[in-house]
Amino acid sequence: MAIRNTTQRWGAIAQLLHWLIVALVITQFTLAMLFDDLPPSAHKLALLARHKSVGITILMLAALRLAWRWANPTPPLPDTLKPWERSAARFNHVLLYVLLFAVPVAGWTMSSARGFPVSWFGLFTLPDLVPKNKALYELLVTTHGILAWTLGVVAIIHMLAALKHHFVLKDDVLRRMLPLTSNKTQGSGR
Amino acid sequence: MRLLISGALVAAVLALQTVLAQPPAAAPATPATPATPAATHYVLDPAKSSLDYTFVQAGAANKGRFTRFQVAYDFAPESPAASRLDVTVDINSLDTGDQERDDTLRGADLFAVAKFPQAHFAASQIDRTASGYEAVGKLTIRGVTRDARVPFSFRTATENGAAVGYMSGKTSLRRLDYGVGQGDWKATDQVGNDVIVSFALRLTAR
Repeated sequence: MAIRNTTQRWGAIAQLLHWLIVALVITQFTLAMLFDDLPPSAHKLALLARHKSVGITILMLAALRLAWRWANPTPPLPDTLKPWERSAARFNHVLLYVLLFAVPVAGWTMSSARGFPVSWFGLFTLPDLVPKNKALYELLVTTHGILAWTLGVVAIIHMLAALKHHFVLKDDVLRRMLPLTSNKTQGSGR
Repeated sequence: MRLLISGALVAAVLALQTVLAQPPAAAPATPATPATPAATHYVLDPAKSSLDYTFVQAGAANKGRFTRFQVAYDFAPESPAASRLDVTVDINSLDTGDQERDDTLRGADLFAVAKFPQAHFAASQIDRTASGYEAVGKLTIRGVTRDARVPFSFRTATENGAAVGYMSGKTSLRRLDYGVGQGDWKATDQVGNDVIVSFALRLTAR
């Protein structure tokens, strides 16, 4: 498999970043649900600390991914898509990228507003984005939650669309993001 | 009989010599009682004093302070060994800037303030060091008493005709030495064992 993208397939780096972020986003939802209703405890602190570290990791990977996307060709959408489907796909992808930045930044800012500095796996401490502010913290708790759930919904739409392409339309849209597979038709989508 | 009289005389002379040679040593050992004239008794100016601490939470340094504490300091400049320092901290006054965290810290598994409302440091000896002084005494937190040495610097000044003293210092202690952290709070991966305590006090002479 090529390291870089081609006009037919996503390369190894793009695939790795895509699936790594998928796994980490699922981890984030799992951690958030685990600690959400817990009373203050060392266990809750540990889960929260992991959630923050993973969130910052997603932010870093999202930045890397965007940079890699700009430096590489993007396999185009299939020609079979109707104009509204193209727009919907484009809107969905842009929203995913925006949310991959917005959710962690909202979480980081929320932690700063609470007065809790964010550490990345205990290796380094990130700067506080805003000074301590209780009202802002309360607002960001809601914002972080709404953005996260929006990301969840948009990601599920993205996944369902990919499955539709694979099982219903039987094109290469999903296959070209999967390692160890090849496109059925060379030059599809050209 | 003659032996007894001379013995008593020798004892009296010796006692007199001792008193004359080192008057501050005659000071009572308990801090609450007044010091000998050679020592200046200082009390805290709470408005211009701070008692802070830094701890690691979830990998990042966090800060807190105590807002209520008392200090009594008897300082004999010519004889630091005869000086005394007594500090009582109202643990309930802890303030880390986060209500939920403060309440958690007051709880039974951490400071257990209901049972142990105060921390106490009593130093009956102040050693002179290369860089200042060191208070040698006993520190009690959460009912656990341990030997402790607290280095500090001290300078005196006259402000508006009143004698004042500025005491500041920093020391590190391990919370688990004093049982601050029971149950799963004994783990140090999220809340570090080491706590840096720093103080900057303004004292007024009485």
